[in-house]
Amino acid sequence: MKTACRVLSAVVLMILAFIPNVAGAKDFVVKPPPASLDKFYPPQSKEPKWVQQMHKLSGSFGGVFVNMREGDWENAEKLAGQFVEAYKETSEMVPEWEEYFDLDAAKNFAETVKTRDGEKIGKAAGPVGKTCGKCHGDHEVSVWAKYHWPSFHEVKVIDPMDDKEVGFDKYMGSLSGAFKGVTVNFKEGQNDRAHKAARTFKTKYTELKSTCSKCHTTGDVQRFYVGEPVMAALSGLVDELGKDKPDPGTVWKNVGIVGKEGCKHCHLVHRPASFIKERWEEK
Amino acid sequence: MKPARILILFSLACGMAGLLACGTIYFLINKKHTWIPEKLVELARQPDLLENPTAKRCGECHEAIFKAWEKSRHARAWISETYIKDSENRSKEKCLPCHIPRAVKAGSKPEPRLTQRDEGVFCIPCHMADGKMNGPYALYSPPHPTRQNDAYRKAVFCGSCHEKTYKEWQAAGHESTCQKCHMPRAEGRLVQNPVLKYFHAPKEVADHGFPHGAVGAGEIGLSVDIKPDRVRVVLLNDTVPHHVPTADNGDPRLYLTVEQFDTAGEKLDRVREILAPQQETALMYKKEVAFTYPVERGARRVSVRLEYKPAWSTEKTEVHNKSFTVDF
Ligand code: HEC
Ligand code: HEC
Ligand code: HEC
Ligand code: HEC
Ligand code: HEC
Ligand code: HEC
Ligand code: HEC
Ligand code: HEC
Repeated sequence: MKTACRVLSAVVLMILAFIPNVAGAKDFVVKPPPASLDKFYPPQSKEPKWVQQMHKLSGSFGGVFVNMREGDWENAEKLAGQFVEAYKETSEMVPEWEEYFDLDAAKNFAETVKTRDGEKIGKAAGPVGKTCGKCHGDHEVSVWAKYHWPSFHEVKVIDPMDDKEVGFDKYMGSLSGAFKGVTVNFKEGQNDRAHKAARTFKTKYTELKSTCSKCHTTGDVQRFYVGEPVMAALSGLVDELGKDKPDPGTVWKNVGIVGKEGCKHCHLVHRPASFIKERWEEK
Repeated sequence: MKPARILILFSLACGMAGLLACGTIYFLINKKHTWIPEKLVELARQPDLLENPTAKRCGECHEAIFKAWEKSRHARAWISETYIKDSENRSKEKCLPCHIPRAVKAGSKPEPRLTQRDEGVFCIPCHMADGKMNGPYALYSPPHPTRQNDAYRKAVFCGSCHEKTYKEWQAAGHESTCQKCHMPRAEGRLVQNPVLKYFHAPKEVADHGFPHGAVGAGEIGLSVDIKPDRVRVVLLNDTVPHHVPTADNGDPRLYLTVEQFDTAGEKLDRVREILAPQQETALMYKKEVAFTYPVERGARRVSVRLEYKPAWSTEKTEVHNKSFTVDF
């Protein structure tokens, strides 16, 4: 439970961290990555080769400092050499990104390691590290959106009320309509209608459970958004509205749980990437 | 003696000798195969049978079993359209072990295989281990070595891949194994090969069509109770010792539709409930599930329909379809 929560909040935080950038004054543009990167990700490549290359870079770059601290200069120099090679190799992978690399800085860094002077080495590492950071800042999010997030636009849902297959976004629209049917009718004192709408809404909401396995391979994730608290709130909502005199406190409490722990939390995790992809597809 | 008589006697003797020989072979094969000399056993072997032949090759002798298997879902595990779609055009590595297994070992998830993928879950992965055909019988088969293995009549064998269903079955605590219901046995022969079949005693043969029958009214109890103010529908899985429907990754469903009509036949209300493993709403063994709905003003008739949709099809079949008059 704890680890799952931690992962969840990490994902949410990471995504939230970027939202102000998207909207803020400092232009943060999420452009689709260059097509030449496709070669290094599935389905074109069996392995995510770009990520592996990154591990090679950080393994050798970071390894220099680990060895340095241990006073193992022989290995520090060896890794510095490997790093320069890997860095050069990487710079040739995506022509559109060649500019991000500073081969001279990398070579200078490897030469400085030979001086075995910690301070000098730290200084020489700075410009190299900056090249990593610059590219990550510009492209990591878009690479995640393109290669790590499956598209919700390809997820189809069979509407349980009429058995018609619709796209995920369309289904969301009708789910949202069903939800409003509950709240609007209840506000107007039309309890019978609100009750009926709640039953339909519950069936439609529960249908979302069948979509998780289209992207997730463990059933674990179903504890969130469609898990016990939300399902209990849905049943509670239907039961309360079925009473002769529904208690508004109970109704709104359950509406709140579904809206927040269900819709909102799921949107916070899943929608940013979907939003980015949608914009790209518009072009 | 006249030559004709000699000929008759000679033929008779030959016939007797032949019968005796056949009888001896029958006796040896079925009762005392350990007496057959090793050299002779080797001579009768067909070594290609141990080199991953196709199901069709096994079907040259085990024709009835092959024909049944060919129609089973196991034969479609890799070519099923729903599977191809859900596994993103077969690209998901996680899906391979059970849909294209290399060898089934009772109780553990198999490894995926690299060849003959189109055959899905076929004879070799289910039967070959350590260079022998494993099966429920202690018998002698001239063309290939065999080994008796008790696991073949146990549910845990199926549980290697039907992981969730196996857990549900364990929780149900029912004495019948999966094979009892999904591989019913009947008297017959293991082989139909025109020569071989006469040398092997008849035995019980398990249905390799792995039938699960369409879900019928007998499997799921439905009772409806109508009061002036409410309709109560109760579903009960009284006979199937696992959830209904049950699935590991597929999405089979039961749909319950309850509709109310007025005197003119106008629809006043319609509700849908989905009973599906993916939604954690499937019917557990011996556990009643009740739904209650208010009776609409002016309602004269209530119709209650239960339909079943298997994982691999979009077609629904009817389980129950009942209509009640509201008359208070
Ligand atoms: C030209 C652009 C670019 C440069 C330069 C670059 N990276 Fe990356 N890096 C990326 C992208 C894009 C990702 C995101 C990859 C992904 O998640 O699929 C990434 C991800 C990473 C990751 C995380 C991998 C993971 O498993 O999620 C590490 C570590 C990393 N880079 C290290 C480095 C280091 C160290 C350098 C500099 C020596 C560097 N990168 C330079 C583009 C770059
Ligand atoms: C279109 C694909 C898609 C669908 C459908 C989908 N998710 Fe996700 N979800 C993702 C991706 C991608 C991530 C990012 C992390 C990852 O890859 O697991 C994620 C992250 C999560 C996380 C954060 C923790 C984690 O495991 O990374 C949870 C919880 C989650 N999803 C729950 C659900 C639930 C519950 C459903 C069904 C109601 C669902 N998801 C449907 C793609 C999807
Ligand atoms: C499985 C997680 C999940 C849950 C739970 C969820 N949504 Fe969504 N919703 C999404 C995603 C993802 C999108 C973006 C779809 C796309 O871009 O195709 C979306 C989009 C929407 C949209 C915009 C539809 C459009 O036409 O673009 C609305 C409205 C919406 N959701 C309402 C709701 C409401 C109301 C609830 C709760 C009753 C809810 N959603 C629950 C994931 C979820
Ligand atoms: C999903 C696994 C599976 C597949 C696929 C399978 N079998 Fe079987 N087979 C079994 C099990 C389990 C039994 C034992 C059934 C029993 O006796 O209850 C069995 C029994 C047998 C027997 C002994 C007679 C009998 O029916 O008990 C023969 C012969 C046999 N199988 C041949 C084949 C051939 C030939 C094929 C391919 C056309 C095949 N099997 C495919 C699981 C399988
Ligand atoms: C040339 C004929 C022939 C072919 C081809 C053949 N078998 Fe057999 N098999 C037999 C005979 C004969 C028996 C014994 C029948 C009996 O005693 O009733 C047998 C028995 C078996 C048994 C029962 C083992 C036991 O101990 O219960 C299995 C399982 C089996 N075969 C599997 C296969 C498989 C799998 C293939 C394909 C790879 C195959 N056979 C191909 C002739 C054949
Ligand atoms: C190697 C893994 C494996 C083993 C072992 C196995 N199965 Fe299956 N079984 C599958 C797969 C995969 C499917 C689904 C095939 C498809 O439709 O794509 C399936 C489908 C079925 C179905 C049809 C379900 C439906 O939706 O129509 C039945 C019934 C069944 N198996 C019974 C059994 C029984 C009984 C046993 C044990 C004797 C058994 N299976 C052993 C993998 C296995
Ligand atoms: C007492 C008989 C019985 C036993 C024992 C039994 N089943 Fe079933 N099974 C049925 C019936 C009847 C159905 C049809 C109802 C249904 O589809 O769920 C069925 C359906 C299935 C289905 C089809 C899935 C679906 O619901 O569409 C699978 C797969 C299955 N059983 C596997 C197994 C496995 C694996 C075991 C052993 C762990 C087992 N069964 C034990 C009677 C039985
Ligand atoms: C642990 C074994 C196992 C694994 C792993 C597995 N399946 Fe299955 N699959 C089964 C069994 C058993 C059945 C038959 C019962 C059922 O419907 O679940 C089945 C049936 C199915 C069905 C319904 C039958 C059909 O052909 O339409 C689909 C679709 C399916 N699996 C897709 C997948 C996908 C996609 C994956 C990977 C994410 C996967 N399976 C991984 C065992 C497995």
